[in-house]
Amino acid sequence: MNFKTLSLPRFAPRLRPRRAIAATAYLQRNRTVALFLVGLITLDLSVGLFHDLWQRHSPDDYAWRVQACQERRPDLVLVGGSPVAEGLNPSVVAGTDSDRHGFNLGMSGGTTSDFYHAVIHACPAPPRVLVYGITASDLNDSRGEPHGPHSLMTWNDLAGWVRTRPEASEWVVRHFLRGKLERISNLFHYRYSIRLWAAIKVNDAFPGGSPLTLKEAEEQRDYAAGLVSGNGYSPLKGFEHAHFSEFKKIGAKGTRFDHLHYLHNYRTGSHLKYLTKLIDWCEANRVTLILLDMPVTADLERMYAKEFAEFRLRLGEVERERGLRVLRPTRAELRLEDEQFADLIHMNRDGANRLSTWLASKLEWSPR
Amino acid sequence: MIFASKEFFVFLMVVLLAYHLLRSRTHKYGFLLAASWLFYAWCSPQYLWVIILCTVIDYAAGLAIEATEDERLRKRWLLASILANLGLLFAFKYTAFAYDNALSLARLLNPDVHERAWEILLPLGISFHTFQGISYTVDVYRRQIKAVRSFLDYALFVSFFPQLAAGPIVRAVEFLPQMVTPPRVTSKQIADGLHFFLLGMFKKLFIADQLDALFVSPVFGNPGAFDPAAHRWAMLAWAAQIYCDFSGYSDMAIGCAKWFGFELPRNFNFPFLATSITDFWRRWHLSLSTWLRDYVYFPLGGSKGGPVRTYANLLLVFLFCGLWHGATWAWFVYGLYNGALMGLHRAYDRALTGRAWADAVRRSVIWKGVAWIATMLQIVAGLILIRMADWRSGAMLFESLVAFDAWPTWSPRIPIWVPMLMALVLLGHLFSGLRNRLCGLLELPSGVRAAVYVFSTAMLIVFAPGVGKSFIYIAF
Repeated sequence: MNFKTLSLPRFAPRLRPRRAIAATAYLQRNRTVALFLVGLITLDLSVGLFHDLWQRHSPDDYAWRVQACQERRPDLVLVGGSPVAEGLNPSVVAGTDSDRHGFNLGMSGGTTSDFYHAVIHACPAPPRVLVYGITASDLNDSRGEPHGPHSLMTWNDLAGWVRTRPEASEWVVRHFLRGKLERISNLFHYRYSIRLWAAIKVNDAFPGGSPLTLKEAEEQRDYAAGLVSGNGYSPLKGFEHAHFSEFKKIGAKGTRFDHLHYLHNYRTGSHLKYLTKLIDWCEANRVTLILLDMPVTADLERMYAKEFAEFRLRLGEVERERGLRVLRPTRAELRLEDEQFADLIHMNRDGANRLSTWLASKLEWSPR
Repeated sequence: MIFASKEFFVFLMVVLLAYHLLRSRTHKYGFLLAASWLFYAWCSPQYLWVIILCTVIDYAAGLAIEATEDERLRKRWLLASILANLGLLFAFKYTAFAYDNALSLARLLNPDVHERAWEILLPLGISFHTFQGISYTVDVYRRQIKAVRSFLDYALFVSFFPQLAAGPIVRAVEFLPQMVTPPRVTSKQIADGLHFFLLGMFKKLFIADQLDALFVSPVFGNPGAFDPAAHRWAMLAWAAQIYCDFSGYSDMAIGCAKWFGFELPRNFNFPFLATSITDFWRRWHLSLSTWLRDYVYFPLGGSKGGPVRTYANLLLVFLFCGLWHGATWAWFVYGLYNGALMGLHRAYDRALTGRAWADAVRRSVIWKGVAWIATMLQIVAGLILIRMADWRSGAMLFESLVAFDAWPTWSPRIPIWVPMLMALVLLGHLFSGLRNRLCGLLELPSGVRAAVYVFSTAMLIVFAPGVGKSFIYIAF
């Protein structure tokens, strides 16, 4: 007689129920916590089902611009920080040829390192012309924009950054991982959008109850709508109709009208490595790269004279070493006064039209 | 690193995991003490020596007091412990205040005296752990507890990180018996810990911080820009804010402690249901109120020395209470104000209690309602003192509070969220406090509790400010 085979059916049924009973008892004892976890996961997944709604209320504009640019495959791409996002209208810059399409890949708050990653992911089909509207703050190594690692970079990009800019590797790893972690939870990822959506809903129920949040919510909703509908050019209302000259009269101390903290502790060299990489990428993909030294207010240049001097020195070095075309429009040439700026560095609608028209006149389009 | 921060969550998760993985008592407590000191050093890196010094002195004093039967020697050791704790507290908390007042006096003689050009940073939780140390040595001196033999146990009792920064002020008799063997965490403690931790976070981040940002700070910062109706709402909102801020911290501390298997005493008992100022102080910051009763009021003679002595004792205790909170004249006046109110209430209570007609009136619902409104007015008026930007703004706010012409009224400048958030505080008081429950939610079925926790977590994630403000009582 084989005792082993006999023993199995005798003991197995006993063990299984005992374990099952223990597991059930454990769950029963901890049912509040278990139900809480199940509820939280269910809610999180449910929030994810409405991602379109949340994105309409506060888009991840970096990711959205990259994706939209990939889909549109434009002939002309305008890249840079918020001065580009607000100040260059691709429809005007691309000119009158209806077959030619431009796209604004302006990323508010970004640095040269971010713009490089934006371009390589946004342009799987390289454009004919890439205009980088560069300004002093793009190259300031004292700053980094967490939105870049969150929304623009892959694991390969991260490895590349660590090799290229080892001095900023701790920063980039931290923000990259944080961005990945935030995406684990839909609730956390879309928390800001849900808040703005709720502000609009509450205002519908109690009109005028929370005017500041409502204003922000409506601005974000309009911004998202502008991004979805066009070529990446969606100037914020706050910039479009503002006049720096008026703010100067009021004398707004300690605000974005009397300083630009992006230029504080100015030092260059590290972000500059990504400018070199961008130039290499353009050469490898036969893209005409033009650097446009973005016009800023006379006040800003006066306040940060040393910083602008260093920036232009670096720009001159790159121009000489790589034989690049650098456009340096002056305020006088464009007839830009304080009236055409929204604040120290951003142009309003009038300023943007002047700069865009001027840039269009400087671009030479070779036949396809 | 404050409780309501991402860093604290990571810290808490790591410490909880490691604590429960460790097996032996010594390892568990050793690790928990190291984690608590790390928490302290994270917040007050330059002052770790302060808590270690207090711990060593009180531990040694406890052993020395117990080792001798010579009453004079016992008293000397007790005095050494009290003086060391109060001396450190005074040095860090009151030196600048004393210096400024000395300067003001000196300026009467010589107007050219320079302003103070230095600042003393306050070590984390010094007002709490020094009181904990004093209560321990006094209890050993009174032979109410045995001195702790193990330095590790004593140090952990003083430094246990959930209650380190802002209490509750835990007594040795409440905590040390739990330490005999490392407590096993029960399923109930896990669920209740989740309850109190979430409740505390919700009070702090969802109610207190939002009320502050939306309304309290703007109005108290510049009351001249708002109308009297807005002032009244802001004062009520401030009362709700400080309650949610402080009781929120206590709840989080209680919740955290449960996850380690420890029980901390309750610190609040629905204070806004109080129908007299005496009742209020029996419901607000219970660990401090009872500490002051046991270690200041009773040693002063309590109510045993006749009416004058009793009223003087009450006044002294509340002056001490006011100054414990902060070294400013506003806190001094706050203490004086509460001491005077306590005295008045005691006199009124003594005069009426026992008279049939008065007892009948005081038992009626209408009278209770009147008493509640009067108490709330007294509480809110007192709270103006500790938030006002200056005495002039305080006077303006007080004027709005007592101008009964159109009370309460609505102002279009009040964000709709403010009454909504305040209604949540009221709802909590009514739902649990009126039924005399610790928290009514704890008695609901698991499914309902879980749903409430999910909803609260979602609200916290979505609506809590990105950067949590520090807890108000951490500054004390």
